[in-house]
Amino acid sequence: MIKYIITILLTFSFNYFSQVNKPEPILEKVKEEFNKIEDYQVDVKIKVDIFFLKMSDREAIIYYKRPDKFHIKSEGFALLPKEGLNFSPLELLNSKYTAFYEKEDTIKGIITAVIKVIPLEGGTDIILSTLWIDTKRNLIMKVESSRKPSGNFSIDLDYLKTSEGYFLPSSMMFTFSVDRSMLPKGFDIGNDSESVKTSTDSKKPKNGTVYLEYSNYKVNKGISDEVFDEKLDKK
Amino acid sequence: MIFTLTKIELLKIFRKWRTYIGFIAIGLLVPLLHLAMYLEGQRSLELVTRGLRDSFILVGNLLNGYWISYIILNALTIHIPFLIALVAADLLAGEATAGTYRLLITRTVSRMQIVTSKFIAGIIYTISLVLFLAIMSLLVGLLIFGTGELIVMRPDAIIVFEKTDIIWRFILAYSFASLSMSVVCSLAILFSSLVENAIGPIVSTMAVIIIFVIISAFDVEILKAIRPYLFTNYILNWREFFGNPLDTGEIIKAVTVLCAHILVFFTATLWIFQKKDILS
Repeated sequence: MIKYIITILLTFSFNYFSQVNKPEPILEKVKEEFNKIEDYQVDVKIKVDIFFLKMSDREAIIYYKRPDKFHIKSEGFALLPKEGLNFSPLELLNSKYTAFYEKEDTIKGIITAVIKVIPLEGGTDIILSTLWIDTKRNLIMKVESSRKPSGNFSIDLDYLKTSEGYFLPSSMMFTFSVDRSMLPKGFDIGNDSESVKTSTDSKKPKNGTVYLEYSNYKVNKGISDEVFDEKLDKK
Repeated sequence: MIFTLTKIELLKIFRKWRTYIGFIAIGLLVPLLHLAMYLEGQRSLELVTRGLRDSFILVGNLLNGYWISYIILNALTIHIPFLIALVAADLLAGEATAGTYRLLITRTVSRMQIVTSKFIAGIIYTISLVLFLAIMSLLVGLLIFGTGELIVMRPDAIIVFEKTDIIWRFILAYSFASLSMSVVCSLAILFSSLVENAIGPIVSTMAVIIIFVIISAFDVEILKAIRPYLFTNYILNWREFFGNPLDTGEIIKAVTVLCAHILVFFTATLWIFQKKDILS
């Protein structure tokens, strides 16, 4: 009997809150906001903090063109997270999904709506995403996602207003779980068994972080399709 | 006097056909590896960075001359000892085989000078072979594949070195490889002083290397105690120059052990040669 009462109460309260804060309009506004951007070019500083990766900070230029053209230009080697790199909600929200409004939360003094999104189409690795959305500016402030098979990741974003009047990220912190399976095998003939042994305690997944700092945005200035042609870039 | 004797020894070395076997082998093998890397290198690189590519977008030219040279140096330092032994084992035994020992001893040079000049000549040959490997793999590699950053995959880490931070590491790595190969050369000369035919010292040198490598590979407590004293344990320590930060303690230890081996082999050869009853 008690079970039934709890279920009825939960269903009632869920329906009540869902009606007050429907997630779909919030997500649609976020999409609309991002849809204002036809293309952009931005300088990015990359700092990688992964326990097994030693590399100095890098600089690159990121080019984006709607709907999904993406290009990274770097003088040297650069490593960027696949997820959230284009901080575009379109990939997630243009497919079929179901969303739930969870609660209101505050991030860096900004009131956000916390919405859980479950993709319903099989094209993505994401199982569940939680979005913290600044409902005033219609911007995603934080993302937490579970994906298969590589585990969870989170993205924390800060924004700036570009000279063209668009809100785009000024920094992004991408946190994810890493384990030794990411380490390549082979090519290092005669691996030192001592060093392999000492690293066996690092078999457990640890958190890795990639920090991206964006500057010098050029938004909706028009970018030629040739920029995204990798073959031309290799020449 | 030593200078003249060394010059003569070098002339003797470079007049022999077998001296060029090492250069020919490297001259053929390295371009072959370059060709293989040119055709399949990108795929190999993608394979080893697969774990990273699952989560990251990798940008930049990692398939470059530096990476190819690193791979080649990794693969060849294990096999070069044979090419060294081929020449070094003949330095003293060759005189016995040719019957020129007596002629050599009757000249106004001491036995110590003879051994020293042969050692110096052998080490010069060793350095020239490693230098040739460096030219073939690094310079030719850079011409074919261009420059870029060097990605080094260690058992516990991936290190990416910037373009400006690579050349000095290669110079020191090749210098270290020369030192470790000089130990092989010294050992071959020591064996060469014991017999009158070069085949025995070549086989013995390679046998010692194989045995030492096997001992180093066995993860047994009793063998672990011996391991630090085996020169084979340090042959691949040129890779320490591709560490970040550099393990200077390990590098100094390796250099000390290798130099000590050369000194011991030289002293033993000298002692054997001083006592040797020259009959041919």
